Amino acid sequence: MKKLTLFAGLALASLTAFAQDVPALLKAADKYRMSSDNMQVETQISVFNTDGSPDKERRYTVFAQQKHQSLVEGGNQHQSLVLMQSPAEKGQKVLMLGDDFWLLMPGSQRPLRITPMQKLLGDASTGDIATMSWAEDYSGTVAGEDRCGEPEQACVHLSLSAARKGVTYQRIELWLGKAKHEPVKADLYVQSDKLAKQARFVMDKAAAPTAVTAMLLRDQLTNKKETQVRYLGRKEHTVPEAWLNPMFLARNPALE
Amino acid sequence: MKLAAFVIAMAVAAACQAAPEFGGQVRPQWIANQANRAGPLARAVALQPGIAALPASGATIETELRASAHGLSFVGTLQQQRLEGDRLRNHAWVNELYGSAEAAGWQFSAGKKIVGWDVGYGFRPNDMVEQETRRTLLSVTPEGRPLLMAEHFDASTAWSFVLVNPNKPRGQFGAEEPALAARVYRRDGAVDWHGFARYGAHTGASVGAALAWVASDAVELHASVRALTRADTLASDSAGSSALLRANPWQNASVSHPLQALVGATWTNAAQLSVLAEAWWDGSALSDAQWDDWAVRNRGLAALLGSSAPTPAVAGNLAWQASAFSASTNLRRANLFARLSWQHDKWQPAVDLLYTPADRGRIVTGSVGWQGDRVRVDAGLRVYGGPSDALLAQLPTRRIGFVAATWSF
Repeated sequence: MKKLTLFAGLALASLTAFAQDVPALLKAADKYRMSSDNMQVETQISVFNTDGSPDKERRYTVFAQQKHQSLVEGGNQHQSLVLMQSPAEKGQKVLMLGDDFWLLMPGSQRPLRITPMQKLLGDASTGDIATMSWAEDYSGTVAGEDRCGEPEQACVHLSLSAARKGVTYQRIELWLGKAKHEPVKADLYVQSDKLAKQARFVMDKAAAPTAVTAMLLRDQLTNKKETQVRYLGRKEHTVPEAWLNPMFLARNPALE
Repeated sequence: MKLAAFVIAMAVAAACQAAPEFGGQVRPQWIANQANRAGPLARAVALQPGIAALPASGATIETELRASAHGLSFVGTLQQQRLEGDRLRNHAWVNELYGSAEAAGWQFSAGKKIVGWDVGYGFRPNDMVEQETRRTLLSVTPEGRPLLMAEHFDASTAWSFVLVNPNKPRGQFGAEEPALAARVYRRDGAVDWHGFARYGAHTGASVGAALAWVASDAVELHASVRALTRADTLASDSAGSSALLRANPWQNASVSHPLQALVGATWTNAAQLSVLAEAWWDGSALSDAQWDDWAVRNRGLAALLGSSAPTPAVAGNLAWQASAFSASTNLRRANLFARLSWQHDKWQPAVDLLYTPADRGRIVTGSVGWQGDRVRVDAGLRVYGGPSDALLAQLPTRRIGFVAATWSF
């Protein structure tokens, strides 16, 4: 009995320790997707039908930037500029400044203000591509410890709620590797609290992971298609302040 | 042909520079036009076949080429068109060809460029530079305007100054008029604020303002207003008369102190079902009184038939009455517009309605788009209608069907 009480006490203490460190855990997990505050990420989206056949493929250049606390009242603000690179979408741009969104269609050269609902684009929403920061967008608790992943490993299970309204998913159940805090899998819930997608994360090195190389998303709401989000390249890149002005979308800056 | 060679040469030249961006699309399309049997043009042609061209059906292939490198941007279009009863015709034009540079914190552009302003969908009073045609059947890249532009951006404010059509004569009409235009933009949380000013060589000063407000996750509201000193239009000096004339009475004119305004809203849900509703007033359009006079003249001319009036003269005068349809962007001053669209996987069905309360005229358009990896297919039907005296029911076209396939590279 004493042993059981001791075990329960230790487990509780362990969870409490993790709970205090949820922001630190999320920051650690974020580093596997975004190693710096300001990044340029080349992303490829491949959508597969339920029978595994390829459905469509898209390429994006994402400039993910962090506006720091001293400049933004109430906390850091995540900013993303997404440039569509595939032939079918070439010239389209989406700008996300916190909870505010703009779209530019190539023919018109006229930036258009859009609602958070309008930014959900097809199988991989722009949010899937552009949002790199859990630490800034979510708060939560440790729900427990689990075995998860392939190969199976000890994981910490976090229950996260959106800290702001503009994020694509209002609730995330996230599993991180217990030892290195790399993301392993996640259940993504939309505003109606319906399970929208299940995500699995592919790391560069299973034994000593340093970066997420791909995210596999299984659609649970409609068509059950699988979307593979592959990170083809990442580099630190701070864009000029003007690039994050919505009206600048109509300009055509040379990309490095 | 020379223009086509120029277009291709510019594309290749831009593409040959280091690390260029190059792309484009090829779009074969078929447009089936059904001419109207009502209206002044239909009557004129019935009386005197061949006196005016009626809308024709036909096939078109458009190839759009895009290239950019080192501050130079180019978009050009090659078009082959074969309309019923006509030979194959080739056209080429430059949509955009401009250079951009940055100096002292300002962005400069010079050349032919598309500059789109304002916040509306069906009508944009403050689209002061491009003055883009709205509600087209297919999304098309407009032809830019020759301009010199200076812009300054910081995190939430943007200033734009544009000298448009500097190479054109002062008397040029509409969007061809030389003008100096300016816009200031300010982002304030969920609201975008825009201020506009324009000074046209012969239309004088105008000022405008617009806002777009994301009121909730699903709802966006927008509004735009512009006050003008003068606006280009067409006017007839034989209004209400049925006298036969030797020349088209509809001539360039201007309307004084017109006001243009638009309010609109969009609602989109998580399933990507979207509703857009807009209402606008265009004070530069012909007034109800002018259209009443137009109708009186149409009836008067028709009544001349059977009298001693020569039929070709009556037909010619009736055909000239159709000039009034191009007096301004909108036929009627008051307009209502609604659009329902849905993005479902690769499919994008949509239906929209333009309604003119003054005469209960309407344009209904239904379309469906399918987007693949490189190919997009669009098809649809647009029907003009309303009571027989509605302007939209008297346009030269009654129905337009279209199908197009776009291959992007």
